[in-house]
Amino acid sequence: MNKLKEMTMEQKNKLVLLIILAIISGFAIIGQGYLFVMIIDRIFLKDHSFSEITPLLVGLVAVLLTRTFFTFWSGRTGIKMASIVKGKLRQSLLNKFSNSPRQASMHGQSGQKVSVMMDTVDEIDSYYSSYLPQVIQSSVIPIMLLIVIFMEHWATGVIILVTAPFIPIFMMVIGFKTKDKSEEQFDKMAAFSGTFLDTLQGLTTLKLFGRSEQQRDKIRKSSLDFRDATMEVLKIAFSNSLALEFISMLSIGLVALEVAVRMIIFQDITFYTGFLMLILAPEFYTKLKDLGSAFHTGRTSMGAAKKLENELSEQEQAVEWGEASIPTNQPPSIELAGAGFSYESNGFAIENISTVIRPYEQVAIIGKTGAGKSTLLNMIAGLVSLKEGEMRINGEKRERISEKSWFDSLSYISQDPYLFSGTIADNIAIGSIEETTREEIIKAAEKAGLNKLIDTLEKGYDTPIGEAGRGISGGEKQRIAIARAFLKRPSIILFDEPTTGLDLQTEQILQSSIKELGENSTVITVAHRLYTVKNADKILLLDNGELRATGTHTDLLESDEMYRNMVHTQQGGKAE
Amino acid sequence: MKGLRTVILVLLKEKKDIVLSIICGFIAGITAVGLFSSSGYLISQAALAPPIYTLMVLVAVVKLLGIISALSRYGERYFSHRGTFTMLGNLRVSFYEKLEPLAPAIFQKYRSGDLLSRIVGDVETLQNYFLRVFYPPIVIVLVFLVTIFFTTFISIQTALILVLGLLLTTFVVPALFGYRQRKVDRKVRQRRGKLSTDVTEFLYGFRDLKIYQQVHDKEKDLLQSSNHYVEEQERESIHNLFSESVNTFISLLVSVTVLAVGAYLVTVGQLDGIFLALLVMISLTVFENTTAMAAYPSHLQDSRQAVARLDTVVNEEEPLQQNQTETMEQGIAPSIEFKNVHFSFPGETGDTLKNISLNLPAGSKTAIVGPSGSGKSTIMQLLLKIYPVGNGDIYFNNQSFLQATQESVWENANVVLQSNHFFYGTIRENLELAKDGLRDEEMKEILRNVELGHFDLDDQVLEKGENLSGGEKQRLAIARVLARKAPLWLLDEPTSSIDVLTESKLYERLFEVAKDDTVILISHRLTGLEKMDQIIVMEKGTIIESGTYEELMNQKGYFQQMKEIEKSVFLGE
Repeated sequence: MNKLKEMTMEQKNKLVLLIILAIISGFAIIGQGYLFVMIIDRIFLKDHSFSEITPLLVGLVAVLLTRTFFTFWSGRTGIKMASIVKGKLRQSLLNKFSNSPRQASMHGQSGQKVSVMMDTVDEIDSYYSSYLPQVIQSSVIPIMLLIVIFMEHWATGVIILVTAPFIPIFMMVIGFKTKDKSEEQFDKMAAFSGTFLDTLQGLTTLKLFGRSEQQRDKIRKSSLDFRDATMEVLKIAFSNSLALEFISMLSIGLVALEVAVRMIIFQDITFYTGFLMLILAPEFYTKLKDLGSAFHTGRTSMGAAKKLENELSEQEQAVEWGEASIPTNQPPSIELAGAGFSYESNGFAIENISTVIRPYEQVAIIGKTGAGKSTLLNMIAGLVSLKEGEMRINGEKRERISEKSWFDSLSYISQDPYLFSGTIADNIAIGSIEETTREEIIKAAEKAGLNKLIDTLEKGYDTPIGEAGRGISGGEKQRIAIARAFLKRPSIILFDEPTTGLDLQTEQILQSSIKELGENSTVITVAHRLYTVKNADKILLLDNGELRATGTHTDLLESDEMYRNMVHTQQGGKAE
Repeated sequence: MKGLRTVILVLLKEKKDIVLSIICGFIAGITAVGLFSSSGYLISQAALAPPIYTLMVLVAVVKLLGIISALSRYGERYFSHRGTFTMLGNLRVSFYEKLEPLAPAIFQKYRSGDLLSRIVGDVETLQNYFLRVFYPPIVIVLVFLVTIFFTTFISIQTALILVLGLLLTTFVVPALFGYRQRKVDRKVRQRRGKLSTDVTEFLYGFRDLKIYQQVHDKEKDLLQSSNHYVEEQERESIHNLFSESVNTFISLLVSVTVLAVGAYLVTVGQLDGIFLALLVMISLTVFENTTAMAAYPSHLQDSRQAVARLDTVVNEEEPLQQNQTETMEQGIAPSIEFKNVHFSFPGETGDTLKNISLNLPAGSKTAIVGPSGSGKSTIMQLLLKIYPVGNGDIYFNNQSFLQATQESVWENANVVLQSNHFFYGTIRENLELAKDGLRDEEMKEILRNVELGHFDLDDQVLEKGENLSGGEKQRLAIARVLARKAPLWLLDEPTSSIDVLTESKLYERLFEVAKDDTVILISHRLTGLEKMDQIIVMEKGTIIESGTYEELMNQKGYFQQMKEIEKSVFLGE
């Protein structure tokens, strides 16, 4: 809500414009009333000829044109404001997400973020495109009308002044009641409306159990329950407008009665004044009623604004980088000194990790599920900032290394690499910093054992993949990631080894490819294969977020009981 | 309109609410016209200083009309909304009836999970159809016709102008703008699609973008798509606003024309001046309702698109069951035979299964293993008749599978899929799905058997079982089939999220219960297969090895190598 106000104030000019436009529309409405009354009065009572009133008719058309035009302009201004706000909101969300280390390290909740960026931002629209212009019109124009009414015939003004306050009072009283009632009904409504989706999602299960017939009745019943719950809330809203209608009816009736009595019995006002009152008074109430419906549209936006505010308020520290570059001719040494990291949200932490990874070393990170293996890998990758201790690259603090030069020398082969929409060739080429030729791409694909697969595809390297493209299996994705690495030839490779489910061929390709890549680089693997662990120059054994032991296979077999157990159960052929 | 026919048919089931909405809407509209025109007449009368009783009658009429108008407006809203929600329910049921025969094959086809939410959203969109598309024009036209009819008694010319105005504001202008609307609308959707893809890629692929240093470029792309989308939305909104303004202006212009023509007629003595105010008030009031028609094309368009999308979902394929009338023999453990079965997924080239021949005696226990993508789950889908066999045939107890109905196969089978759905409700409700008349004691016993003894039958299950862990869901799914007691077990990786120790306990109990039944187990792990009668090893859609555990290990082929790799998997999760 504050966010909406704040963003409105950023567009003060437009706000002022809206007020001016409302004033002009107000004049047009008043002018329209006057002209209608004047023309009828002159023809009906004053016996003017048609040619005499022609200028008035022309004036009337002009006034109506003005009224329509300025109302249009006001709506258009609101729409433009909405566009600016939506653009800005998306930009600030984007800034926030792209500087968020969490985005890089955790995959969860991306779906929800997509919906915030698409739908929630769009929901803001109606606040500017209809609520705001309407509120301004409804606050400016009735006052103008009231002034004119008072000037022409104060008794009508008094009647309006006495009855009009009942409208906001009524609205508030009923509004409170509706709010309680709606909140009470809201959970119910959400549950009912969810049943349909729930049923569709479970249709396979239902059919397998022969229950789909019964479920149809359940849908019908829950839809009817949903209807009844909604109608409870709506009924109140409808009585709300019924009350409004009655109040305005009552006061317009009073105005008419007073005017008629004055005209006939006292004969102290003219037809002209009386008719004018009868035309202006309804305009007054219409504007107030519009406010009620505008409020309704505004409410959705306010809910959306709150969501966005929450999303934007969680500020996160972006990962810091510097200027220094890393030499490209050989891998840098990587040193962790008392390094630690924790996620604020779930309190999970790894702490006090100290180790040195020398150039060309093959390192295996091992540990049970949840020991912090992936977190350590993300930390080394520079995707998150350390919460304690430091990380040094060739003796220089990681924060002083330039981001570009660091990522230029790094490849990260995760278990689930992301494929972008584009062709297979595009997806391999993304690995390289420089422009690549088709031959280079083909060579990289061959090394990753992809060529056979690609040859079977009709469009070969130009087969579209990613969102909307051909489905790619997990093993194939990793091979594409490996092809990216072959193209890039990085000096540091981070590899999240897959667990099971690969075919023998992919297993072999992974092993040989990583071996080949490792000839020219440091390889740090979250290892799941005994083969990888045995061949590592250094094993980092994590336990509960701490570095329990470091050493080679032989070292650890001798010194660490946990490691011994792990290897033992493994060779017994049973996991855990 | 052809597409909307189905919706109209569903809609017409709620005749009472429709008729009441129209009647109330009509009364509300016509009394409002009456109210304002009589107040115009009242004031003109007053100017001529008539006897006071005429005035009293008029005032009473005005009041009465006001009250009737307000009350019928309330009635219109009430009935139209009630009708809308009832219709929504009917639509859901009618759509469900169409979708039901197509499941589960249709879910295999649309792998993306958002298909269902899209369906739900589209059905929801259609609730506007009655409220904004179907009945408002009827009410408007009715109110106009009656108003015009009465106007003819006062002034034929005015009545003609009103007819013209009605045609312009209710038909011509909306039609003109509706035509353009379609183009604008299509562009908005294109742009939205582009932005949505960009946002999805940005957020899901963020880590890779970061490492390949493409964040900045992608950010620029995304902002550009966002701007394009916002621009297009703006164009659409302004277009709608413009059409609304044009409509308002035309209706006001009609009132001016009424006034001018009326004034002229008065000056030439063809019309009594006392009616002038009345005519103008009629015109101003009757056109107030037509502004809503400006939004008509966009609502119509939305409804059309929603129906079209829903239709493509349900009409795309014929249900499989046609001509399948035979029932499989129930209640006995079947023998199963595959004879030279080929299969390829619709729309894909290359066979997913190539020449599969299998023989599983009644009461035998078979495991199918192989890497992901080898076709082992496809065998399961064929056995469940989710897909028709391409070439070859499957026999249950020597009875051909081809003519059998899906239901008769399912009725005889205990099925656990890779992902199983759980409904919003309680554990009890989810278990009761398996069989009618299960007693609490039985259910508790079953829960204990799947190591879920700590669950209470009244524990809540959220939608899709999202408050349960992967292992708990799998155990609950097994519990569900344990309650069912059918003689054929089809288990597709039922324990992939359960640790080995619990897994072996579960299997022990399961095989105890199923000792006389035919069991097919698709397994990702190679542990605990020693007791199976037969292990079938698949790769790339073919059976490359089969035999008992011992035979396969002695053979030192693919299975043995996979076993070696599994052994070397270090603390696999």
